[in-house]
Amino acid sequence: MKRKTLVGSLLKIIKNTFRRENATPKKILCTVTILVSSLISLLGFFSTVFSFYIGDEPVRILLGIVAVLFSFLLYYSLVKAKKTKESIGLLVFTVFVFFLAYALPMIPPKYGLEQFQMNASLLKFMIVSVALVIVGVLGASFTMKPLYNFTSRANQASAYFILTFALLLILYPLAIIIVNISINGIGGFSIDFFTKDVIKHGAEGGVNHAIIGTFIIIFGTGAIALTLGVASAVYLIEYAKTGPIVRIIRIAIDILQGIPSIVFGLFGLAVFVPIFGISILSGILVMGFMTLPIVIRASEEALLCVPKSVREGSYALGATKWQTIRRVVLPPALPGIITGAVLGLGRAAGETAPLMFTAAIFYSKIPVSIFDPVQTLSYHLLQLTRWIGAYPVDQNAWATALLLIGFVLGMNAIAIIIREKFRVEF
Amino acid sequence: MRMLLSRKLKEAVIKNIFFIAAAFSVFIIFFIFYYLFQQAFPAFQNQGFAIFGTTWNSDTGHYGIGAAIYGSIIVTVGAMIIAIPLGLAGAIFLSELAPPYLRTLLKPIIELLAGIPSIVFGFIGIILLVGYLHLTFDMLSGYSYLAGSLILGVMAIPIIVSMSDDAMKAVPRDLKEASLAVGATQWQTIKKVIIPTSISGISAGVIMGIGRAIGETMAVSLVLGNIMKIPIPPWNIFESKVTTVTSFIVTEMGESSGIQTKALFASAVILFVIVAVMSIVSNILKEHVQKKFKGG
Repeated sequence: MKRKTLVGSLLKIIKNTFRRENATPKKILCTVTILVSSLISLLGFFSTVFSFYIGDEPVRILLGIVAVLFSFLLYYSLVKAKKTKESIGLLVFTVFVFFLAYALPMIPPKYGLEQFQMNASLLKFMIVSVALVIVGVLGASFTMKPLYNFTSRANQASAYFILTFALLLILYPLAIIIVNISINGIGGFSIDFFTKDVIKHGAEGGVNHAIIGTFIIIFGTGAIALTLGVASAVYLIEYAKTGPIVRIIRIAIDILQGIPSIVFGLFGLAVFVPIFGISILSGILVMGFMTLPIVIRASEEALLCVPKSVREGSYALGATKWQTIRRVVLPPALPGIITGAVLGLGRAAGETAPLMFTAAIFYSKIPVSIFDPVQTLSYHLLQLTRWIGAYPVDQNAWATALLLIGFVLGMNAIAIIIREKFRVEF
Repeated sequence: MRMLLSRKLKEAVIKNIFFIAAAFSVFIIFFIFYYLFQQAFPAFQNQGFAIFGTTWNSDTGHYGIGAAIYGSIIVTVGAMIIAIPLGLAGAIFLSELAPPYLRTLLKPIIELLAGIPSIVFGFIGIILLVGYLHLTFDMLSGYSYLAGSLILGVMAIPIIVSMSDDAMKAVPRDLKEASLAVGATQWQTIKKVIIPTSISGISAGVIMGIGRAIGETMAVSLVLGNIMKIPIPPWNIFESKVTTVTSFIVTEMGESSGIQTKALFASAVILFVIVAVMSIVSNILKEHVQKKFKGG
């Protein structure tokens, strides 16, 4: 299937327009309309998220331009192309844009929702910005119709425009999070931040103990999840593939994967804390159980990648099943297993809910045994977040958030490197 | 002869060790359910059906978690209104539209969104989102169902995208090519062939997304006011004195005692049951997809 992105097809439209023999008035008109509409939708989007309003007059001018362009398009499709039925949408849209441009100053600065007993109101800039987004997206997608002579390709082009816009919407929060945390967090990185423990409720000092605690939790969790997980996967793939018991086990793994982290936390609180106290051991047991399904899934996939012929070759030489698994099947599957485990542990490193009742405390010493409580980066960030406003902890909170994201990303990067470097091809 | 016997014995022992490890997951599930239920039982006994009621008042001894369940539903529905259209659009873009280089670039980026810890989402929610909503909607505080829905929606998108993408990628090539061969455009193929064939995989992804949204704790607890109340009117998404099941457990657990703690465990049991049912349904749908394309 030939793939086209919207950017690619837009470029093509523009290129064709400026080639002299192709530059029909219709194409120029459509290209200009699409560009103006895209501009308007982006403008509307950014004024929504950055809470600014460019003022009545500029918006009216922009809307006016769109409305005039659309009047030409309407003329083309009604008179030249004679597509009466298909033009109804265009007509309604044009009238709507004209009306919007006309009625803009009449929108009150604030539309209170008190009449619906809600303590909120829709501000004018919000209404106008959202309207701009809608006008822009609809405008661009309507323009595709005359451009492609009202064929099914026109529908395709307008659908793709909307899809691309949706993708930008998905990427936007990610960009906001990464950019904000990087900019605000990097200033908090100092030698003290990495080498000292919390001072004054986290307003000064650093996260040294939290870093150590996070590593301890990750290694403990990894030990439990890898031992149990690899063994489970070996049983499921090598020994028994079907049957009612295997089915039950698989259902259990599925359920385990879906259980919310807070439920694990309460489970740890009810079972392990009465025995081991708030301690590393309680924490890693809970976290180990939580990471287990991810490790099992990854190990299963890695084991399945080892072809059957390799195992049969080993049996033919007289090796037992266990020898085959240990010497022949596991070694090539190991990179895949480790990759999955590291990915799972990366997820575990950011978890807060299962640890907050079972292992984590805010002021901690460096633990000496597995029965001591620890501090982790995620719990540290939770405490700082709760203290924002009460103590000057903002700088350290941003830095901790950056460190935490860096930690998780670092784990993912390690996983990818392991996968690429030690990949075994059959 | 004896050597052979001991070798067989060893093999049998090893097999059983592996079996025990594999069965451990089942034990954990039973353990979790048993202990949570054991903790929650006094609350069920004490409150009866009032546990689903909407009054939470330690003075009168009423511990109904109905308002929190209502909150969970509202916040999740709001999150899905955001996440399902965007997630589906993202999945279609990734699996059908994006050229290979864009796909290899975008897929890890969207998975990155899934990897951001929930506490970071909560932190960003408190610092940026709540203030933004406060200004934009002229609200009292900005802490609201709306903030929770926005955050959960963003968190659920990557799950829906990656599972729907997998489902659409699994649609056999000949189906697509047959559709294109009879003259359908690419978009018609997506609409009429790819989405209908992969609908069970897509729904599995959506259910997983809902499961994550219901179970998500830290992010949502930070942007709600955490008072056990149904707002007036019930659809008031701007009210701050509201809570969800997970968020209420996290905020109350530290300060509760006696039957109140038991009631929190009871809400965890309810949560467990809901999520377990959802993951079973999701996996049945996924298996259905696999069977469909293996057989055909």
